[in-house]
Amino acid sequence: MLTAALRKELLLQWRSRAQFMAVFVFGAAALLLFSFAVGPVAEMLRQFSAGFLWLGLLLSSTLTLAESFHAEMENRAMEGLLLLPANPRALYYGKAIANWLQLTLLGIALIPVMVVLYDAGTTRIPMLILVIALGTAGLSAPGTLYAAMTAQVRSKQTLLPLLLFPLIVPALLASVKATSLIILGDPMNQMRSWIVLLASFDAIYWSLCGLLFGNVVEE
Amino acid sequence: MSGMIPGGWGFVVAAYSVTAVVLIVYGASVIARLRSEITRRNHD
Amino acid sequence: MHDDNHRFPRLPWIILGLGIIFLAIGSYIGLFVAPPEALMGQVQRIMYVHVPTAWNALLALTFAFVCAVIFLFKSDWKWDARMEAAIEVGVVLGFLLCCQGSIWAKPTWGVWWDWDPRLTTTAVLVFAFLGILALRKFVEDPGRRAIWSAVATIIASVDVPIVYYSVRWWNSLHQLQSSPSTVSRQFWLPLRMNAFGILFLMTAFIMLRARVASMRLAQELVPPPAVGERV
Repeated sequence: MLTAALRKELLLQWRSRAQFMAVFVFGAAALLLFSFAVGPVAEMLRQFSAGFLWLGLLLSSTLTLAESFHAEMENRAMEGLLLLPANPRALYYGKAIANWLQLTLLGIALIPVMVVLYDAGTTRIPMLILVIALGTAGLSAPGTLYAAMTAQVRSKQTLLPLLLFPLIVPALLASVKATSLIILGDPMNQMRSWIVLLASFDAIYWSLCGLLFGNVVEE
Repeated sequence: MSGMIPGGWGFVVAAYSVTAVVLIVYGASVIARLRSEITRRNHD
Repeated sequence: MHDDNHRFPRLPWIILGLGIIFLAIGSYIGLFVAPPEALMGQVQRIMYVHVPTAWNALLALTFAFVCAVIFLFKSDWKWDARMEAAIEVGVVLGFLLCCQGSIWAKPTWGVWWDWDPRLTTTAVLVFAFLGILALRKFVEDPGRRAIWSAVATIIASVDVPIVYYSVRWWNSLHQLQSSPSTVSRQFWLPLRMNAFGILFLMTAFIMLRARVASMRLAQELVPPPAVGERV
């Protein structure tokens, strides 16, 4: 059941890869704007590069997440019935995983942008990819749940970030900290604690949101 | 040691005033809403 | 059965009155009777309202969480009304807490915000629950609104300890953190009085606000009369 849902989601995403390009350009533009906001001071930009990367990812995620229920919404009239699959949990995890993959890809795509704009290079690429994966997982789990809710509501563009942003503060803190340690160095070996925090956040929300998703889409 | 923070009273008054104002304004708003619901119910 | 919705409820008034009395007496003692504290001077007196507000804000939001869970299991509208009330009161108290904390921080730390983990978590909470109130405003169907905001409340409540620990860890790396000194024994009287004062006020507010929510719900759930039909 899950693999079928997942396959359908990935196919949908592949078909809308132009949309991914647009979101990537948005993210890269955001990173550019951050440097204009701060000023061309190389050392300062490098200090905050992790923060900028994750803020850019967070803003881009609202676009990705909002789009993820687009197909379901297109197929029904405006009265608000979500097409019920046989198993809402499979629908949730399929979408959440697909969103997660897309966000991870986005994060990885933004790495060279970050390196160039903020002089934030690092050799620990695998570690960086791991942090991006864990962080975007934290965005994707509650984000997919809230995307399902707000897809059916007016003012959805404002509601989704409004609901999501306060919630993911721990994931944001941990991801920025961990990324910062990778780029700027980790003399006191704090990396492990942040990874553990991120992993726990992910574990809690991937299970909790899956559990509650049924309530969100049932009639 | 003993370091007294000078000019404390202004902040104390500010804190207590903010508390009073917020509680009074919110309380009034709840009571006003309840009143309007009751009048609406009575007119139905 | 609906009679009590036509008159003003009596019990919340009594509790409200009690709350005002306790808060007035407690504040008077805290402001004029209790001696200034050795290190913080007069500013210490802010604690006599700040700490009680903190306890009650947390209590309100915990109650909101309980209402959310009960509603998901029992589907009783009463609990949705109570949850809405608890969230609104919790947000108001949380906002108040941030104001008090900011006023306390300026003379103590020299800045309007000192990233204290408890206060920062409160700020995040206020935003989270404000979002849930916004969600309620935008969903028209009462059933869906109730279920969705209950789900959102559970998700936000689970986040509270996580936010707290992550901010505490994040903050401790940058700042030598010293939490406000615990109030010494001799000053407990104004603290306790104000705690009960705000507790009674909060209870009265939640009762009244839940009544408002119930009445609005009753209005929504009754189908409107057909055109030309008398009610």
